[in-house]
Amino acid sequence: MGTTNRHQPLKLMSSDPNNHERVDKKIFVRLLKLSWRYRFGCARAITLQLLLIVSTIAALTLMGLGIDCLRHFLEPETPPPRWPLGLQPPEGWGLLGILGLIALANIGIAGVRYCVSYGYSLAIVRLLQQGIVVDLRARIYEKLQQLSFRFFDSNTSGTLINRVTGDVQSVRLFIDGVIIQGTTILLSLLLYCVYMFALHVPLTLACLLTMPLMWAVAVYFTKKLKVAYRRDRDNFDKMIFDMAERVQGIQVVKGFAREEPELRLLQRDNRAVQDQKQVIFRLVSLFHPLIAMLTNTNIIILLAYGGYLVISGQFPLGTGLIVFHGLLWRFSNQVSTLAGILDNLQQSAAAAQRVFEILDAPVEIRSPPQALRLSKARGSVAFKNVSFEYLPGERVLDNIDFEVKPGEFIGILGTTASGKSTLLSLIPRFYDAKMGAVLLDGQDVRKYDLADLRRQIGLVFQESFLFSSTIAANISFGHPAAARAAIIRAAKIAAADEFIETLPQGYDSVIGEAGCDLSGGQRQRLALARAVLLEPPILLLDDPTAAVDAETEAEIFQGIAGAMQDRTTFMVTQRINVLRRADYVLVMHRGRIIQRGTPAELLKIKGYYRRVALLQWEEEDMPAAAGALATP
Amino acid sequence: MKPFNPSLKSPALGGSADSKPLNYGIFRRVFAYTRPYRAKRNVLFVLVFLRTLQTTAVAWAMSAIINGPIAAGDVHAALWAVAALLLLMIFTEATVHFRQRLAWELGEAVVHDLRGAMFQKMLAMPLAFFTQTRLGRFISLFSSDAEAVRSGIQNVVFAALAQIGSMLTAAAVMLYADWQMFLVVLAIGPVVWLINRYFRVKLINAYRAIQESFSRVTTTVAESIKGIKIIQSYSRQELNAELFRELVYDHSTYNVVVARLEASFMPLLEVNSQFFLSALLLFGGARLLHHDMSLESFILFFFLSGHFFSPITGLAGQYQQALAAIAGAERLFQFLDRSPDSQDAPQAVAWAGPTGQVEFRKVSFSYKPDRPVLEDITFAATPGQTIALVGPTGGGKTTLTNLIAKFYLPNAGEILIDGRNILEIKQQSLRRHLGVVGQSNFLFTGTVMSNILVGKPGATEEEAREATSKINCLDLIEALPDGFQTAVTENGVGLSLGQRQIICLSRAMLADPKILILDEATSSVDAVTEERLQQALAQLLSHRTSFVIAHRLSTVRKADLVLVIEKGRIIERGNHRQLLRLGGVYARLYKEFKAAGEI
Repeated sequence: MGTTNRHQPLKLMSSDPNNHERVDKKIFVRLLKLSWRYRFGCARAITLQLLLIVSTIAALTLMGLGIDCLRHFLEPETPPPRWPLGLQPPEGWGLLGILGLIALANIGIAGVRYCVSYGYSLAIVRLLQQGIVVDLRARIYEKLQQLSFRFFDSNTSGTLINRVTGDVQSVRLFIDGVIIQGTTILLSLLLYCVYMFALHVPLTLACLLTMPLMWAVAVYFTKKLKVAYRRDRDNFDKMIFDMAERVQGIQVVKGFAREEPELRLLQRDNRAVQDQKQVIFRLVSLFHPLIAMLTNTNIIILLAYGGYLVISGQFPLGTGLIVFHGLLWRFSNQVSTLAGILDNLQQSAAAAQRVFEILDAPVEIRSPPQALRLSKARGSVAFKNVSFEYLPGERVLDNIDFEVKPGEFIGILGTTASGKSTLLSLIPRFYDAKMGAVLLDGQDVRKYDLADLRRQIGLVFQESFLFSSTIAANISFGHPAAARAAIIRAAKIAAADEFIETLPQGYDSVIGEAGCDLSGGQRQRLALARAVLLEPPILLLDDPTAAVDAETEAEIFQGIAGAMQDRTTFMVTQRINVLRRADYVLVMHRGRIIQRGTPAELLKIKGYYRRVALLQWEEEDMPAAAGALATP
Repeated sequence: MKPFNPSLKSPALGGSADSKPLNYGIFRRVFAYTRPYRAKRNVLFVLVFLRTLQTTAVAWAMSAIINGPIAAGDVHAALWAVAALLLLMIFTEATVHFRQRLAWELGEAVVHDLRGAMFQKMLAMPLAFFTQTRLGRFISLFSSDAEAVRSGIQNVVFAALAQIGSMLTAAAVMLYADWQMFLVVLAIGPVVWLINRYFRVKLINAYRAIQESFSRVTTTVAESIKGIKIIQSYSRQELNAELFRELVYDHSTYNVVVARLEASFMPLLEVNSQFFLSALLLFGGARLLHHDMSLESFILFFFLSGHFFSPITGLAGQYQQALAAIAGAERLFQFLDRSPDSQDAPQAVAWAGPTGQVEFRKVSFSYKPDRPVLEDITFAATPGQTIALVGPTGGGKTTLTNLIAKFYLPNAGEILIDGRNILEIKQQSLRRHLGVVGQSNFLFTGTVMSNILVGKPGATEEEAREATSKINCLDLIEALPDGFQTAVTENGVGLSLGQRQIICLSRAMLADPKILILDEATSSVDAVTEERLQQALAQLLSHRTSFVIAHRLSTVRKADLVLVIEKGRIIERGNHRQLLRLGGVYARLYKEFKAAGEI
């Protein structure tokens, strides 16, 4: 409600999305706990992955066997194929029979692999997208809905949207990118290693010689690239931001003939993006060939040493050299992806921190344990020595004390940031008083059931937010099941029925779509209709005409006049001609009531009210408000 | 809360075009942008050619070493061969390094130039373009569309060439080694291609569905945050949370659809290669038996077939990327081809030594042919006068001021400035002597000082302070947390409306224009600030010809001439008292408001 309320303690700490340098231990433990809930899904995914790896090895071995069979057949002096696990085909099968068997087994394995990998993909999407992501998103959203205004005052909508969308996906990354992938890679490395050692110990040792180097290279580049990518993102964001700002301020740019300096600025941004990209290109184009070269070195060692072994008859060609080649190649690939897991861990931990921050944010305002139920209030309101502050020590309201009888009209006038909006916010408990109490029908508002309390109150702000939905849905926002007749009645009270009827689809027009671009006055009257639909005994109007021109102001007041009937009404406004109709006027300045009384009384005494009245009535030949004639 | 409607498109810029076939005209045009970097480009072509030979060469060398020295048992030759292979590999990886790097640099350079051209174009576009085009369109033009072109150049053109090349060389070697076996390979090719095609189409649609459902999620979150006050006032939290869970779940089902497709598609390709290997084993084995084929070519095929198959799937993906790049490029060129804001007559001269006399002679204007916005406007303002424009919304007041700034040209009649037709005055020189203060009080991110300095290029900070003191507001700016150096964040958040107006007025004062156009803000500020603003305004308006779209009675009262504009025509003119005496529309508007004020 207020325009300048910034509350530091509620500001989310990690709103800088790039702040993920180190992983907090607590966050890590909490992520593990979160993952524990999905342990069965994870176990299933890892098992399926292992099956895939085993079948890869099996297929590779089969091919090696085939080659050995062929070689032995063609060159009988070479050693016969070594059948693994004692699976010897019966004697007497010809070469074609054996090859056919191997081919069939190969196709069989391919079929199994197909099913397993299909199952894996589905299992993982169910676990992640339908499980964790849906769950976290819904929980954050639900939490956001309950947080108090102070929270929203201190955080921009962009950061909050990011937490529901991008950050949740990054938290998910912990499960698939760290736990599942990490376990799978480690297990597969182990398997490949065991197989290679089983084939030939010295050869394996020789071929794995460069592995530590490969690991070091991968870690080094991954780190460097992370920084480079972050800078790139920042540069790009700045360019887009600057561009967007020039578009929004195009009138100023053109009006002051600023095209050239602005173009220079944008071209500088453009150049910065390109320069930083070059850094990335240099890194990546070095990284990949380097890793490939290291893999190649292993293969060269294999060919030289392994080749020698084959020549000297110590090592079979197919099940030896070729199988080893396949294993080594896969092993190297896995080592270089291992570095990516560290990055995943950092990324998910940073996102998790941001997500947990919201889930942990205290819900400051909620119904008390034994809440009083309230179906329809009479509408008397009292402030008993109420004080309020957003920041400790900075009083926004100071010792406010007054009483209002049901059906009265209270006008509130005051300087900017004098606490007018805050005063209204305390009635529906958007904030709670720091000292003193706000009473509704003689009871502290904090004793009522929160939903019951808010149902007693209709609200219209300076600029009304309408949802992209139909006019009818917007009016019946507080009571979605309302009958069309009730909606129309509310619209009539708010003087909105007339213009709604002229819209192409009437009450079913969707706001914001073609043919339904509403003016400021029309939006305010819809907000009024929304407020009166529930027949609230109390109406809070927070400077509803502040953002519109004089002509529109007249339209809105037409609606307000209808809505005010038989309701306790609080209205913040700068218009003396409106305040003149109030039963009682409060004049506020710096959180205090500096003047109070009926409009007639206030006009007689020296003070702020009288000064403003005189300013507005300066033109005594026509005692109306300033700006009356001019409209945009 | 119904999800939003995704079919909102800007009329000014075209919509999606990613389902059209490849458009070679656009391709050629993008390619023309590589001309400044032709040395780089030509080296790149050579590298791509080298690369196509290398992949096959490495695979061939591997099988040759195994088949040759290793099979023959020649240790010495094997070592030499391995050393040669090492050299070949180093050469290959060096080529890879330069090919990647040059392709990326070239792509980025082209996109940099394209973005530069677009920035230039953007700032040269007429104001009307900005009112018709959503900000989101600009952003996607500079981000997603430009990125699509970039990855098109970087990943499609040269990568596709390399892939086709390596496919062909692999085919050639296999064909040479054993043409009958190659026929088996060839037979599996179309199967891979068809499978690919079938799933690609399905996947593209599924990806689109994900995108759409995701944008429903984000818009709902955005609306829920912006409308949080309304939601909490009407206790809709639980209902909304429930609706949102449904929405997110709905989104996740699209993810499942994609996963299902990908899961049946990706492994199929692998199954295919297993089929090929099995066929190789059986068919090759049978031919080996009859000594129609050697073990050498058998092992050669084992290594080379992969180089023939994998480009097929790669190319299909690149074709999609190419379509996206072309669609992106099409939108970029559509934008670049728009006619800019060059509305100067050929014989236009710079506007020097202006006095600020403005005259409209029977001026008419319309944005669309059938809907006149201004008709037959005639009036004259002598230097130093204040002209107030008054009348209902949509009457044409803003358009009239836009004509003075030469944001638009009249359809009929003429506008004279210092007796010279506006057509013959260079737009830039005109605007240099013109100040515009808009209703939105727009501020750029920076400081208060940098925002005031916008008014006059090259002005010193001292001059800026002077401008503020001329409108008597020095104390108000200095009262800000860091005075003139107070940071201004996005959209001026943190500054009050009154403070923002004062900064904008200082800016205009610094510009010290001969002609000032001012659209008064409608939002109300408290009465004390209002008084200060009126005083500042009075200072600003004196000694220059001013056109004010007025919302303040004090402004109207002091104006030398009030024009009441309704439905594009001047229906009443005169000063405040004359108009009241007239008892016409002006007087009626006045009374109406007075009545409405008394609810």
